[in-house]
Order: sequence, then C-alpha cells, then structure tokens
Amino acid sequence: MGLKKAFLRLATIGLGIGLMTSAALAANLRVLAWDGYADADWVKDFTAATGIGVDVVFIGSDDEIWAKIKGSEGQDFDVFAVNTAQLQRYIKADLVSPIDVTKLANQKEVLPRFRDLTAVSGVTKDGKVYGIPFCFDSIGLIYDTDKVKPAPTSMSVLWDPAYKGKVLAYDNGEHNFSFTALTLGYKDPFNLNEEQMAAVKAKLVELKRNVLSFYTTADEAQQIYQNNDVALIWANYGQQQVKALQKIGAHVAYVNPSEGALAWLDNWVISKGVRDNAAAEKWIDFMLSKKVGGELSERTGFGNTVTETGSAGGNDKLVWLNNVEDPLKRSDMWNEVKATP
Amino acid sequence: MSEAGSTQPAERRLSLLVTVLAFALPVVFVLVPLAIFLGYSFFSVDQGTIVYDLSLGNYVRFFTDPVFLPVFWNTIVLCVSVAIICILLAYPAAYFLTTLKGRWRYALLMLLLVPLLMSYVIKIYAIRSILGLNGFLNKALVALGILQEPSTLFVFNMNAILLTLTLLLIPFAILPIFLSLERIPQVLLRASDDLGASGSQTFLRITLPLSLPGVASAASFVFVLAIGDFLTPQMVGGISGFTFGRILYSQFGTAYNWPFGAALSVALAVVVIAAILVGERFGRNRGTSV
Repeated sequence: MGLKKAFLRLATIGLGIGLMTSAALAANLRVLAWDGYADADWVKDFTAATGIGVDVVFIGSDDEIWAKIKGSEGQDFDVFAVNTAQLQRYIKADLVSPIDVTKLANQKEVLPRFRDLTAVSGVTKDGKVYGIPFCFDSIGLIYDTDKVKPAPTSMSVLWDPAYKGKVLAYDNGEHNFSFTALTLGYKDPFNLNEEQMAAVKAKLVELKRNVLSFYTTADEAQQIYQNNDVALIWANYGQQQVKALQKIGAHVAYVNPSEGALAWLDNWVISKGVRDNAAAEKWIDFMLSKKVGGELSERTGFGNTVTETGSAGGNDKLVWLNNVEDPLKRSDMWNEVKATP
Repeated sequence: MSEAGSTQPAERRLSLLVTVLAFALPVVFVLVPLAIFLGYSFFSVDQGTIVYDLSLGNYVRFFTDPVFLPVFWNTIVLCVSVAIICILLAYPAAYFLTTLKGRWRYALLMLLLVPLLMSYVIKIYAIRSILGLNGFLNKALVALGILQEPSTLFVFNMNAILLTLTLLLIPFAILPIFLSLERIPQVLLRASDDLGASGSQTFLRITLPLSLPGVASAASFVFVLAIGDFLTPQMVGGISGFTFGRILYSQFGTAYNWPFGAALSVALAVVVIAAILVGERFGRNRGTSV
C-alpha cells in the first residue's frame, strides 16, 4: 500500500517537472515589474485561466528598468511596468509597441478618469496608445483633524502663519517646484519659464519659514510627527503614509488639493521585442480585472485604476508627474532656497 | 648550504610581494580614487550627462555663487564650535578617569566608549526624539520649572546640529586626551609637589601643557568628523540648519552633478587636510619636547 502511494507521488512529481520544463520551452511570457505588481497567486491564476506560463523579473528602480530594456533593445521582455514620466523616453527610443486597446475588454470598465487614454497625459503619442494605466497614487496633504480646522482644500494652507513651525515638507526640489507652481495657478508645473521659476523660488522661501523640517522618508516624517507639534504634512508617500500614521493612533485625514495634486501613474507597456503580442495583451487585461485591482490596493496601499480607493475621489484633480524642464536647475535653486537665511 | 640558498630567494620574493602589497593597497584604494575625484572636479554636466572637457567652471562657481561660501564658512564655524565644546566636556572627564585607580579606570573608559558600538543613525533618531517638542529634554525642563512651556529651541536648527554632533563625537575627544594624560610620568607630578607647587600650579604648568598634544589631536578628530557629516544636519537641522555637507550630498543625489560635487569635496578636503596637519604638528611639537 505504502509502496503504491510512494510510486504515485513519484509519478506526480515527475509529471510536474515534465510539465514545468515543457512550459518553459513553450516560451513563457516575460514580465518585468515592481514588487507587488505581479504577485505569485495572480501569476498562478493567470496561467490557470489562459494556459500561458509567466516568468517575472522584479526591479527596484526606474534606472534599472531602463538598463534592462535598453540593454537588450526590448528583446528580453514582453511586457513591463513603467510610469508616465518615464514612458515618453521609451517611446522616443523605439523600445515599446503601440497597444490595441480594443483587445482589452477590461479597459472599458476602468474608473472614468482612465477610460479616455488620450486624456491621460504621457501614455499616448501621435494618437497611438503605448501605456495602459493600472496603479497610481496622489501626493496630497495630510492634516491633523484636531489641529487644522476647517479641513483644508488647498496646498496654500501650508503657507498659513497659523501653522508656523507645524508644517512638514518634503526635501526634494523637483516636486516642491511643481506643487508650488500648481498652488500659484501655473498651467504646466513641469515646464516653468525664468519668471515663473523666480516666483516659485520666492514662494518656497516663504514656505521654508513656515516649515518645521524637511523630511525624506515616510518613517522619518512619522517619527517627527510623534515627537513634535505637527499639523500638516506634504504627503510624498500618499496613502501608505496616511495609513501608517492612522495605525499609530494619529488623528489625521488626507486631501487632494483643489488646484490639483501631483500623482504618479504606473502603466503596463508592451516591449518592442514582444514574442507573443496576444499573450501580452491577455496579461494586461488580466491585471485590469476588478479582483487584481482590488487586491493590489489592499496589499500595497496604492490606488488602482479599476476600483475606487482612498488615493483619489472621483472628482479630485490629479496632475500626472512628468519630466521637468531642467532637474539640475531645480535642484540648484532648491539648495538656494534652503541656504536663504 | 644548498638548502639555505634555495630558501633565501623564496623569502626575498615573499618580502618583495609584501612590500609591493603594502604600497599597492594605499595607492589603489586611497590615492587612485582621490585622483579620480580630483579629475572629476574639472568636468561638467550637460543635460544629465557628464562632459569630459577640462574646465575650472566648478571652482569659479564655488567662489562666485553667493550660496556656497557663506554656507561653507558657517559650517566651519559650527564644526570648530563642536570641537571646542567637545574638548571642554571631554577634558574633565578624561582627567577624572586618570585619577581613578586600577580596574575602575578602564571599566569607566569602556562605558564612555560603548556608544561607539551603536549604529550612528539609530543614535541620531534617539537624540532627535529627546530634543523634540514632546521629547524628554523639554518634558524635563518643564517639570523642573526651568521652562514655562516646551521650546522649539533644541530641534530643527543649528543648535540641534551642535548638540547632536557634540553628543555623537565626544568619545572621539575623550580617548586621545585620556591617553596623553595617562602618559604623563607620575615622577614629574611628584617632583612638582616636592618643590612646593600647589595642586592648581602643578596642573597648569605640568599636566595641562603635557596633555596639549592629546587635546590637539582630539580637536582635529572631532572637527574632521563633524565637517564630513551630512546625515546629522539633514536629520536634525530642519530649515535653518543648512550645512555644506547637505549641499554636497544633494550634488550626488538629486542634482546628479557629480563634477560640481567633486569640486565641493575638494574644497572640503583642503580644510580637512589643513585641520589634520595643524592638529598633528601641534601635537608632535609638544610631544617631542618632553
């Protein structure tokens, strides 16, 4: 009896190994993604539903994606994830293929703001769609509900003398110039002319005088919040930051400012070297399902493009991050702001 | 005879290898990187890529831009202050240690050095929560009635950097001072006593002068460590505590301007080398005169 069982088990294992190797031989879909974008259980479900095997490689930085894709001229991967600010660079270098949106049934069901892709800045070029948005987060404002009344609606509250020394801002020139430009009402916060730059700089010097400190990591902001009298936090880490603060019992809420909140947006794109375009489309469509979207937000705290999350209400104005006119200049001017007594 | 003849070249080869290694290691790991660094400071950056044409532009910018020199000067003043405060606090502590007998002396010395075993970042985090508005320092001062209400004087400004650096670097001041005090021959002190000098006279005319080499090297240690630090100012400096280290750091991080960062580092290195030379020269002169 025991022998028979052992035999059966051996046979099953053998069969399993055989299937695995044959699947690998039959050209798996090659996915390059950030951790959290291609969890093992989704991959399993996808393979079960479509019969397509998947090999996932995880990356840790924008530079790494570029190095991997550019290094092989797109030949090493079929589908990968990249944000809107980066995508144009890939299009220009001819490393990605246009996507036929009609093949993606789930794209019709996404949240209203992502339905018309021509309205999402950065994912199209010359009328062709290159990126399918699927994960995002806004950079809004965290406020202490006990200290800030009434609830703020604009980033201009950061300049309010009533909160002098109770504001935490983020230590990054690029973002600070962009959001201040939005607060000043400039149309394109990523392309500022000389005059606008000077105005933003003056405004940032004013901001600095209202600020307690500039933080860099979410943990750091949380620690400062716990040990000091903080009322407002410019939330570079969005929902993750809010949830972490609420977890330690802080009475905080989150708002996307009315002038528009900066927001990052990650997209699935199909590489130039794709081996099986239909398989890549199936992957993207699968990632746009309500189940994966919901689980993605639950697990990472980021917003997804399919179901409503705390990252943005339906009417919130989001401004997708883009490349800025001159990062070096912004960084230098940010140092000047910090050096101003 | 033949045996000795065969081992000798082998030995010589070995010693040659050791000599080459002894010279190669500092050259490869110290001099070459420094030379590369110096070389980079003459390049420039255009549209995010480094241009490998030699120019003095970075140095011109350092001396003419109104941002850098004031921050540089303030940072030097800050670090000199840190060194002075460290010496003032460390000297009595080290002196006290030398008055202890036997086992106690080294047990206490070890206790004072224990903070060096802790992670630097964790210490800064801890100090920052102590200095904060709801932190231990404020709570204690209010409880003792020294302050009416918690003060923001201690965190996110230059004071905070001064306090934190002093706290972090004090072990580096205690050790050299302790060693120089310990090396003073007891016979000199006894002779001074025999000749009728009072305790304070002995201290001022024997102990203090003979311990100055230790003080000099302690001061240069602390100054050099303080001026190279960017993390402490970044974490406790807030909006007014802007130091040269933070500017330097930003050139390698967000700005992606390595050549300019290299030029700023060269400026910093000049000051650091000067501090080390001064400390060493001062220390040696006094030392050899004994």
